[in-house]
This record gives sequence, structure tokens and C-alpha cells, in this order.
Amino acid sequence: MIPLSNYLIVGAALFVLGMIGFLTRRNLILMFLCAEMMLQGVTINLVAFARAHGNLHGQVFTLFIITVAACEAALALALILMLYRRGHTLDVSIWQTLREPGQEETVDLDAPPQPPREEPLPHLTPAGTAPPAGDREESYV
Amino acid sequence: MFDPQTMLWLIPGLPLLAAIVTAALGPKLLKHWSHLPTIIGSAASFVVAVMLLIGLAGTQGDGPHVAASGYTWFAAGAFKVTLSLQADTLTALMLVTVTFIGTFIAVFSAGYMHGDDGYPRFFAVMSLFLFSMTGLVLADNFLVLYAFWEGVGLCSYLLVGFWFQKPSAAAAARKAFLVTRLGDAGFILGIMLLWSQFGHTFEFGPLFREAARQADNPYVTVMCLLLFCGAIGKSAQFPLHVWLPDAMEGPTPASALIHAATMVTAGVYLLARCTPLFVLSPESQLYVACTGGLTALLAALIALTQNDLKRVLAYSTISQLAYMFLGLGAGLKHESLAVFAASAAIFHLFTHAFFKALLFLAAGSVMHAMGNVIDMRRFGGLRKLMPITHWTFLCGAAALAGLIPFSGFWSKDQILEAVLHAGETHESHYRIMYLILFASGLGTAALTAFYTFRAYFRTFWGREKVPPEAGHHAHESPTVMTVPLIVLGIGSVLVGVVFEAFTHGISRFLARAIAFQPLHMPLPVHHTNWLLILGSTACAVGGIALAWYLYNEKPLLPLGIAHMIRPAYELSLNRFYFDEIYTLLVVRPLETLGQICRFFDGILDGIVDLVGLNPRLIARLLQPIQNGLVQFYALVMMVFLTAFLTIFVLWLRQ
Repeated sequence: MIPLSNYLIVGAALFVLGMIGFLTRRNLILMFLCAEMMLQGVTINLVAFARAHGNLHGQVFTLFIITVAACEAALALALILMLYRRGHTLDVSIWQTLREPGQEETVDLDAPPQPPREEPLPHLTPAGTAPPAGDREESYV
Repeated sequence: MFDPQTMLWLIPGLPLLAAIVTAALGPKLLKHWSHLPTIIGSAASFVVAVMLLIGLAGTQGDGPHVAASGYTWFAAGAFKVTLSLQADTLTALMLVTVTFIGTFIAVFSAGYMHGDDGYPRFFAVMSLFLFSMTGLVLADNFLVLYAFWEGVGLCSYLLVGFWFQKPSAAAAARKAFLVTRLGDAGFILGIMLLWSQFGHTFEFGPLFREAARQADNPYVTVMCLLLFCGAIGKSAQFPLHVWLPDAMEGPTPASALIHAATMVTAGVYLLARCTPLFVLSPESQLYVACTGGLTALLAALIALTQNDLKRVLAYSTISQLAYMFLGLGAGLKHESLAVFAASAAIFHLFTHAFFKALLFLAAGSVMHAMGNVIDMRRFGGLRKLMPITHWTFLCGAAALAGLIPFSGFWSKDQILEAVLHAGETHESHYRIMYLILFASGLGTAALTAFYTFRAYFRTFWGREKVPPEAGHHAHESPTVMTVPLIVLGIGSVLVGVVFEAFTHGISRFLARAIAFQPLHMPLPVHHTNWLLILGSTACAVGGIALAWYLYNEKPLLPLGIAHMIRPAYELSLNRFYFDEIYTLLVVRPLETLGQICRFFDGILDGIVDLVGLNPRLIARLLQPIQNGLVQFYALVMMVFLTAFLTIFVLWLRQ
């Protein structure tokens, strides 16, 4: 039989991973998923204790948490959607307006690397029409 | 037609309704028709008041009166103050005077105030003024009277400061309010003392009955003096007379209203109402009479040299009110004499209301024509230019001077007669005082005749002189202004002869007032004192003749005389330096005290601010934590939660 401590270790690992993710990622959706992960860590704890004690209290709690998490997901995703529509980004650090008046805005000292510009795919001239005179040379290269 | 209770409520109610309508609809809807509610309201109120007067006059028996019980204003245990009204003959006469004069002043104002920006405001306040004054005389207990008393004060503040954009008008309004407030402080103390001594009630009837039972109460004199204190403030007697001349800053019809019908007469009414109380205290009566005599003489002396037509009239108002107080103070312990004296004072109030309203309105008419110039040195000889104003002013001036058939003569004569009686019928030291007061009253009469006709001759006689400000206005005023003048002029000439001279109608009517009933005296007996009539007529004619000689025959002579008695002239011209003395003795020390208090307050404020600074400093330290970054908050939470849990677990281990 797998001892209780193993379950607890898995739960703690999930919780801490979620926490680290929540604190380090800036993407709103990823932060939300990390929070979900922390919840799962907790539920594993509860289920493990329920099994160790031989009653259903922990399982009831777990079901409760899962329900709440589902509701929370619906709300959080809706909020994230609205935030995205407003800010056109999922970066959480642009929402700093609720700081103390007179406090400087926190800005990144070096901006995160921009994704490389994608080269536009080469496309062929439509069949059956003469290419425009100006760029005939290039289009055949 | 109406039952008496409804009538009592209608008399103050109609002006109040007019005030509300004008205030609510005036600026948007009525505009230059804003005078209509006021005129209609006060005229209707006048009609009701006349019906009430006729009803009371027709009632037989002692002390006919009508009472209307109102709702309970406030109650605490057995103590209850009701907002109820009562009217006896004294009240009825006051009501008729106030509403009649008020109506015609309102008509006059419709012409005078035409085109003013505050046209609706003026009429709203004027209606409110009439409401307060009618309420004041109708009140059946001291607290309601006091409430309306303050209402009158408020309205006079609003009217004196009507042109509040002018700093001098604003200052005058403030002065009027504060100076009368000084008297009111004494008045309320007097009311409280009355309440505590005489049966814990504010109602006139029970209170005066209780007072008559406790005639030897040691506080009676104090009470009388405290009540008189209120009257001094309201009726502008020495030493609180300084506000009244400054109140000339208001529009002239407002001055007419304040001086003739409302406000200043409140003090006289109060003392007449309290006659049963004053009878118990000859000392306070003597004080009232002395204040009256002194103020009358003082104001007349000041009026001699004023160059401002309205100021002359203002000082004559003070002087005439002082006359009324002289009369009110002549009752002493002699009860039938007290009634005679008080009704003489109220009769003088009645006639004075007519001629003073007339004089002020005539002055307003002159001012209107002269482009708001009121300095008598700058105009003259207006009798051809403004014939109606001239004739009506002459009627008013003759009445004020006390020429024989005019109304002022009869009432002034009665007061002098009362004072003479007081001098004749009392023991030694009172006797001397009252004879001195009688002499000063006669002298004042002569001075009054002189300064009134000085103003008259300087304004209407001599070379025609019109200031450039007049422009195209220099002609007779419009009909709406001359009609009130004519009506009041007729009134000034006739009220004395018709109502009093041979029938003693007003004295008999007044003597039946319930204010005078607890005294249980026979109706006063009048006898014609030919010597007195001759004496006062001689004084009046002498004054007028002197004025005619100095200001019409030899216009240069007054300058020479003024030069000859320079110090006396300066003293009178500068109003005996009362304002300066008060500034030095009262205003400056208070200002200094205020500065000291302000400095001290600054120190206290500094200490409190210093304490208040601490939380802000601490907050300043913690402020950077609140940087708005969600993840930073989460991090802080995690760190401290971890720290807490660690400590908690370690603590559990032990």
C-alpha cells in the first residue's frame, strides 16, 4: 500500500509548482491555470487524508472544490476575455492602475524579446494574367 | 362672512401666501408683475383687519377680543407652547395700520422699484415682512412674539441689504441685525425671567394676572428693564439707535416700511402690551421715559444738521419713537394714567405711521426724480417740478411738526399731556424728573418742527436746482407712485381730527384692550388743556417760522451760524460721534480679541495638525508596497503566509 506521505508529496509538489507558475508567469491564462493547479494539489491532499481516515469528508470537500473551481473558471475566463478586449494583450503587468497615487508605474527595464517577424510566404502570380510590369524581374526569382 | 378664528389666521396668512407665491413664481413667471401678489395679499389682509376692527368695536363689554388656538409648537411635560393668535383692540389697531401702510408702500414700490434686477425678491421679502409684523402683534404668548420679532429682524436685514452688491448696504444690513440682536439678548432673558417668576407660562393673560398677584416681586424692575432692552434694540433708542440711520442704505420704500409700519414699532407695541407689568415698577417707567426723552432730544439735535434728506427723516423717526417711549414711561403707578399714556403712545404710533410713510415715500419720489441723489445741497426749488410730491410732503411735514389740525398734533399733544400729568400727580423726585422730561419734550417738538421744515424748504423752495444725474427723470413721478402719496397725505391730515380730536374714539377703543384690562380702572378722562395746546402750537409755529426765515429768507445765514458755533455744529453733523465712540469702545477691542483668539487658534491648530501628520508619515513609508502589480501582492502574501505557517508549526511543536 502506498503510504500517505507519497500522496502528500505529490500534492505539495503540485501546489508549489502552481504557486511558482502563478508568481512568475505574466500571461493571464497561464496564471489562471497555475491557480487551478494549486487547487488540484490541495484536493489531492484532501482525498489522501480521506482515504487515510477511512471516511468521506475529504471527498465531499474535494467535490465541493471542483464545483467551485468550475464556476471560478467560467468567471475568470470571462474576465480575462474582457481584459484582453480592453488591453489587446494578456500581459497582467499592464493593469497597474489601482496603485497608490503618486507611485511610479513599474516598467520592465529591458523589454521581453519580440517574436521574430515572420517572413511572408512567397506566393505565385495568379495563373493566366500577365504579372505587373514593375516587379516582373523579382517575381520569377 | 368669516368666523373670527379664520380672520385671525387670514391676516398673517395672506401676506405669507403672497411671499411664497412671489418667491416661487416671481423670477420665472411673474417677472415685472411680481408686485401683484404682494399688493393683493396685503390689501386683502387689510380688508380682513378692518372687518376685525369693526367687529371688536361693535362688541360690548370690557376687553373684547378674539382668540384662535393653533397647533402645539412644542411641549415638554406640563410645559406647552402653542402657536395661537389673539386680537384685542390694541392688536386690531396695529393690524389695520400695518396692512394699510404696507399696501400703499407696495403700490408705491411697484413704480419705484420698476426695472430693478431683484424686483421679485423685493416683493417676496416685503410680504414676508408684513407676515412677520402681523404675526408679531397677533401672538398670544411671549415665545411666538419672540419668533415673529426675529422674523421682523430677518426681513429688515434682507431689505436693508437689498442691494447687497454695495459694500455699504451689506455693512448696514449687518449692523442693523447685530445691533438689534444685542437688544434681543436682553429680551429673551426677560422672557425667561418672566416665565420662571410668574407661573411658568408664556401666555400674556395668565402671566399678567399672576404678575398682578405678585406685585411686590423683587424681579419686576429687572424684567421690565430686560423687556425694554429688546424694545431699545428694535425701536432704535439710545444707546442702540445707531443702526437706524445706516438702514437708509436700503431702497426707500423699504425704509418707509421699516420706519412707519413695521420693525421699529414692534418695540412700542411690546411695551404697550406689557403695560400691566410696567405699572408694577415705577422705576423702570421712569427709565423708559428718560430714555425716550433723551433719545428724542438727541435725535432731534442730530437731525438739525444732516444734509441727506433720508437721514433727516431717519433721525426724526428715532426722535418720534422716543416720544412714544416717553409716553409709555409716563404711566407710573397711577393705573388710569398708565392706560392713558400707553394709548397716547399707540395713537402716536398710528398717526406717525401715516406721516412717516408719507414723508419717506415723498423722499423716495424726490430721489427717483433726481436720479438717486438725496443730498439736499444738490437740489432745491422742486415745488414747481413735482407739485404732488410737494403738497403731500408738506402735509407730512406739517403732521410731523405737530401743526394743529394735522394728525401729528393730536397724538403728540396727548403724550405731552400724559407726561405733564405724571409730573403733576407724583411725589417729589419723580415730579421734577417728569417736569424736566416735559420741558425737553416741548423743546424737541420745536426742534422737530424746525428740522422738518428745514428739509422741506431746502428741497422744495428757493432757486430751482436739479443735479445732472437726474437727466430726463426730473419731473413728477408716475401715477402709481403719486396715488399712495395722495392717500397717505389725506390720511396724515385727517386721521387725528376724524378719529380722535373730538370723539376720543381711538383712546376709548384702545382703552378696552385686554392688555389694559387687568388694571381695572375707569376709562381715562380727557380734558382739554388749552395751555398745553397753545404751548405746543407755539413751539411748532416757532420752529417752522425759524426754518422759513433761515432757509427761505436768508439762505446764507445758516452758514454763518454754523461757523459761529462750530464745535456744536460739528458735534451734531457727526451724529455726536456715536459711531466713532462705539468703534473705539466696542468694535476695536472685539477685533483685537478676535485677532488674539485667531492667533491662539492657530497654535492649537498647529498642534492638532502635528498629531494628524503622524499617520500620514507612516503611510508614506508603506506606500511603495501598493504598486498595483497583482503578482507582487501574491508574492507578499505567499512570503508572509509561509513565514507565519513556519512559525506556527514550530510553535506547535514545542
